[in-house]
Order: sequence, then C-alpha cells, then structure tokens
Amino acid sequence: MPTPIFVTAASIAAELHQAMLEAKGLALTAKNARALAVRAGSKTVGFKAITHFIDELASDIIRQSQYINGVSEGLSQQAVSLWRANTAADKFQWIERQQLAHGESLRNAMRTCYDEREHLSQMLTRGIRELEAQLEEGDKHIRTANLIATSSKVEASSAGDFRAQLEVIAANITATANQIRQHLSTARRLLNQKHT
Amino acid sequence: MQANIIYEDGDHRWIMFGRDPNKSDGIIDTNQYMIQSGDQAMLLDPGGIELFAPMLSAVLKFVPTDQITHLFASHQDPDIISSLGLWDQALPNAKLYSPWLWESFIRHFGMERIQYCPIPDEGLTLGLGRIQVQFIPAHYLHSSGNFHVYDPKAKILMSGDVGAALEGTDAPLFVDNMAAHTPKMRKFHQRWMPSNEAKLDWVRRVRQLDVNVMAPQHGRLFQKQHVTEFLNWFEELPVGIAIR
Ligand SMILES: [Fe+2]
Ligand SMILES: [Fe+2]
Repeated sequence: MPTPIFVTAASIAAELHQAMLEAKGLALTAKNARALAVRAGSKTVGFKAITHFIDELASDIIRQSQYINGVSEGLSQQAVSLWRANTAADKFQWIERQQLAHGESLRNAMRTCYDEREHLSQMLTRGIRELEAQLEEGDKHIRTANLIATSSKVEASSAGDFRAQLEVIAANITATANQIRQHLSTARRLLNQKHT
Repeated sequence: MQANIIYEDGDHRWIMFGRDPNKSDGIIDTNQYMIQSGDQAMLLDPGGIELFAPMLSAVLKFVPTDQITHLFASHQDPDIISSLGLWDQALPNAKLYSPWLWESFIRHFGMERIQYCPIPDEGLTLGLGRIQVQFIPAHYLHSSGNFHVYDPKAKILMSGDVGAALEGTDAPLFVDNMAAHTPKMRKFHQRWMPSNEAKLDWVRRVRQLDVNVMAPQHGRLFQKQHVTEFLNWFEELPVGIAIR
C-alpha cells in the first residue's frame, strides 16, 4: 500500500535524529580517545591524530543530520498542506460536476486551491530531490568513518599497554558508523518506497 | 443531503440541512442551518469534515459563495465545526463567530483565511443582511463556552445540543408527540449536560423569548407548543448524572 509522503518525511526525520544522536556519541568517543592518547604519550601519537578526524567527522554528521532533519520536517508539513489542498480540490471537483445554481461562485476559491496544490507539489518534488542528494552526501561520511575505524584499529595494535583500551574505542567507532549507516539506508529505503 | 426551508419571508430565509441518507454509519446525524437575509447568509454549526462536500453542494443550490459571509460554531465539538479547514478554502472572506473561549482550540481544525470573531460570554447581537440575530449564552449546555442563535423576526431559536435526540435519518422533521419524544432525549441530556444550575439559567432566559420554532443540532425540531413542553420537561430533568 502506498504511504503518504508526510508519514515518510516524518519517519526520515526520525531516522536522521537517531543518526545525529549516534554522531553525538561518536564525538564523545573521540573525546575519550584523545584523553587516553594524551595520557599514553608517544606510543599513541597516531591515534591522537585520528581523534581529530573523528571529532570533525562527528560534527559534520551532526550538522548534516540536523539539516536533513529540517528539510524532512518542512517536507512533512508541506505534504500535509498538499494533502489538505488535494482533499479540498477533490471535493470542489465533485461540486463542479453537479452544475449547481451557484456553482460558478466557487470558481475563485477553486483556482486558488488548484494553484496552491500545484505550487506545493512542485515544492515537494524539489524537497525530495534535495533529500536524495543529502542522503547521498551522508554515505560519503560513512565511507570516511569506515576509513577512520580501520586506521584506529591499526594504530591501536601498536599502542602497547593501551592497546586493549584503544581497541575498544576503535570497535566503538566501527559500531557507531554501522548504526549511522543503517539509519541512512533506512531513510533512503523510506524515500524510495511508493508514495501517495 | 436534504434541505428544508423552515421559514421564508421575502429574502429572509431559514434552511435546515440534514437527514443525509448517504452519511456514513457511525457518525451522528446532524442538522445544519443557514440564515439568509438580503445578500448575506450565515451557516450555523456547518458540521463535520465528513459532511463538507454534501453541505457545500446543498448550500450552493441557494446562495453563491460570496454571499456566505458568516459562519457560526456554537461550540468546539467535531460534529459542529471540524469541516472548518475545508470551508477555509471555499470561503476565504467569511467570518466565524464562535465563543471566545474556544478560539485557540477551534483553530486546530485549520483556519488560515477565515476571520475568527470571538463572542463574549454575555452574547452579542449581529446584523445580517436586513435582520439582526442574537447569540444567546448557553454555557455548560453542554460545552463550557456555548451559544445559541435567536432570530427575533423569524422567532426561531437554534438551540445547539439542547433539545437533541438521537434518531435515524428517516425521522420526521418536527416533534409530533412529546410523550413519545422525551425518551429519545433523556439519556443524551442527562449525560452530556453537566450543570443543573446552567440548565435553569438557560430555561429562564429562553422563557423570555418568543419562540415559534426551536431547532436543535440533532433530531427533530420543536413547534411553539412543544417548546413550552420541552422547557418544562428540561427544567425538571436532573442532569450531570455520570458522577452519581
Ligand atoms: Fe456538542
Ligand atoms: Fe452535537
């Protein structure tokens, strides 16, 4: 069954909100890793450098998630307005077919309603395209996250006494990146489903 | 949607819409009214979202949209005014008269173009075309902010949920026998109406009006002799029973 676009848009906003929370967790992980790397000294210089990348990545993801969130919430609102305009338009068309004594007097309101419907559906198309582009962008972040996760694993292995702790952090980064990827792909799947 | 002209004198008219045979099951049958005078008309309790299309169609048989200048919502219930978001698209220049108490609630039905004109607690007299109509306070009957509409020229009182009876769409337009009709009203009034004090205040108020027809939002209408009988019956009826 086709899903109303306002439901989809709201669901996408929810997915991106989750992604943002994960990214916030990632930023915290980066902070902990940096503290640890500072204490560990020279053996973890590589790891410490990586934490800056993680930090940057986390704030990129947060910024982007918030942006997509805003876009999808706006989209959901527009879709509700469009649904209302569509509902009214359907009723008006039904009235139009009846040749009522004063049916003609509805003409202006009908035109406004049809124009609004047209305008809203264009905005909606534009918004959906924007969402698609943004989700694609999000995938780039995920690829970066995977690279960082791999490098942190490598760095962790040469960190001597701190190896175990850094490995936990590296695993944490991998897991978080996976979570975010999942939210993004759910969002994309939602966007690609059949809509009314 | 059926339309019945219940009063006509020149261009001054009361039309009752309702008894819709195509209404979906499970929604309460409602009476909508339109008062027309000169080049202005007011829809009283225009109804739920489900009724919008049949109502608009029925109304446009009598007046063009630019003459539907006023809407009235006696209170905030969905069967009264949940169609507002669609009327808003059809009548962008109309004014909605409704209790001040409910403005921020009724706006939830969607209202971008229509203007909300809050009725103060004590009521209001409004010019409509060549006549004057009065918004009569009926607070707590059943809604805590609630008005009825009295037209002193036509001598019609639109009484909202007061006098309501739950009946089928094939019920006659007017009450013919009070003894047979009161059982159809008792439960509704006892449960929906919360305050005996408010009830007595309203009965006192309405006894001072000259009412030829009392027109409720559900069920049959009352002619003069039955209005008197109704007031006596309602006066004696204990209401607000759910807490006992
Ligand atoms: Fe009600
Ligand atoms: Fe009602």
